[in-house]
Amino acid sequence: MKSLDTKGLRCPQPLIMLKEALLEMKDGEEIRVEIDNDTSLKNLSSYLRDQGVEPDISTAGKIHTLVALKPQKDITQSDPAIYCTTDLPIDYVVCIKGELMGDGDPDLGKLLMETFVDNLKLQEQLPTHVVLYNGGVKLAMKQSAVCNSLTELEELGTRIMLCGTCIDHYGLQMDIGVGMISNMVVITETLASAGHVVYP
Amino acid sequence: MDQKFDLLSTIEYGGCSAKLPAGVLAEVLSKLPVASDPRLLVDVDTHDDAGVYLINDETALIFTTDFFPPICSDAYEFGEIAAANALSDVYAMGGTPLLALNLMMFSQEKIPLDVFGEILKGGHDKVSEAGALIVGGHTIDDHPPKYGLAVVGTVHPDHLITNAGARPNDILVLSKSIGSGALVSGMKNGLCQLEDYRRALVQMKHLNRQGAAMAVKYGVSSMTDITGFGLAGHAMKMAEASGVSFRIHIAEIPLLPGAYKVYEKGSIPGATFRNLEFTGQQVHCTRGVDYNLKMLIHDAQTSGGLLMSVNPDHAASLIEELRRLDPDVSVAEIGQVIPESPRRLYFE
Repeated sequence: MKSLDTKGLRCPQPLIMLKEALLEMKDGEEIRVEIDNDTSLKNLSSYLRDQGVEPDISTAGKIHTLVALKPQKDITQSDPAIYCTTDLPIDYVVCIKGELMGDGDPDLGKLLMETFVDNLKLQEQLPTHVVLYNGGVKLAMKQSAVCNSLTELEELGTRIMLCGTCIDHYGLQMDIGVGMISNMVVITETLASAGHVVYP
Repeated sequence: MDQKFDLLSTIEYGGCSAKLPAGVLAEVLSKLPVASDPRLLVDVDTHDDAGVYLINDETALIFTTDFFPPICSDAYEFGEIAAANALSDVYAMGGTPLLALNLMMFSQEKIPLDVFGEILKGGHDKVSEAGALIVGGHTIDDHPPKYGLAVVGTVHPDHLITNAGARPNDILVLSKSIGSGALVSGMKNGLCQLEDYRRALVQMKHLNRQGAAMAVKYGVSSMTDITGFGLAGHAMKMAEASGVSFRIHIAEIPLLPGAYKVYEKGSIPGATFRNLEFTGQQVHCTRGVDYNLKMLIHDAQTSGGLLMSVNPDHAASLIEELRRLDPDVSVAEIGQVIPESPRRLYFE
């Protein structure tokens, strides 16, 4: 285990030290940091959580000890432009045209659609966008059974795009639970430039 | 010859980093009675940049103040930056500054007196550049030093630009680069090039005068200046006051050279974490917005640029003309206003 003593140092020195140390560490290795002020403890914890690691914190007197695994994510990237490239094979967009999945019994169609949306977040590769239009926008309303699943997807970085005209048409302005209201210009652009589009 | 006095040696953190956390401030203010008067066109209610009071049909008064501890070593430059920053609140309302008062906290026992004079001179020159007058001020013995101004400006009531007027489909324009907080911190920690730091200082000294003039000329629907709460914090307040959401293209946000590198090394000012906490669930970052960029949009700016929301038909002309008038700073289209959605800001 790697150890860091940041006692007596103020923000941002402890974070600079932590980032330097993480770069030198191997995957799966643990780091232990001693901290003597609440602000640094908060900021280091915030940083680690953002990298997907929950730090283990213990406090004795005025000294906090933070123990965490080296984050999996690549923290060495230096080019801001990296954000627009993707390391995934093919980007895809999910397009939801209505409340039901498939033709037939509407009760079954509703159940299938809910199961489909719930499963999306479990995919190894997440969609870049979920576009919802016509009756599909109803899935993003607060009372929808999949509102939570869509919110989780959004937390993971998927853009949830709702057709604004459709929301107006169904009078749902006050009920939106997740997603950003978009228009046909953006939706057309998104679908046209997608690697491929999945229609459930 | 005496070695030049380093103002940064007096403080631990500076500039708008010295602001109280927004949440704490809101809680304190919520317990105070709010002034109400039909002549008060803009009060604290919408978290705007300044108070605005209607004098008559032709004139409204803009009243604002800002002051902070040193953010750079040189006294004259600190004076310039503090003044540009205080004047900016008037510009952010679409107004013209008229009069200013110096606010100074300075300990003669701890700092040579000529430093005092240099700070005031920097402030004076910047206020003159803005076409306004310093008509006095007040000094208190205190250490570390703090300097700023109270500024009065005017605006025609019909041309007043608040942060509450953004409309869906408007284009969002930002008139300066982001990252001054990063570079000030980077310089202190030896993590940036002097040249990049100098560029940040030049930008902080730059008046938002032309930006405001173009905003008035092209009738922008809403405007605010970017300071201590960072781009995300101020954009969030503007979206909130306007009852809309913003979609911002992170790759289009102009960044000061070197700022990204400072964050990558871990030199992230405490103010950035406070701002991140402030925006919380209101900000959505799409997958691929990396950690350093997510933090940079929360970087506290001192004397930052204007964020305008403008009718799409006028955005290109506004940007083109402002680029011509203000070639030293980056102005860019960074996103669009969208109808009110569950979150205020979508960065992608």
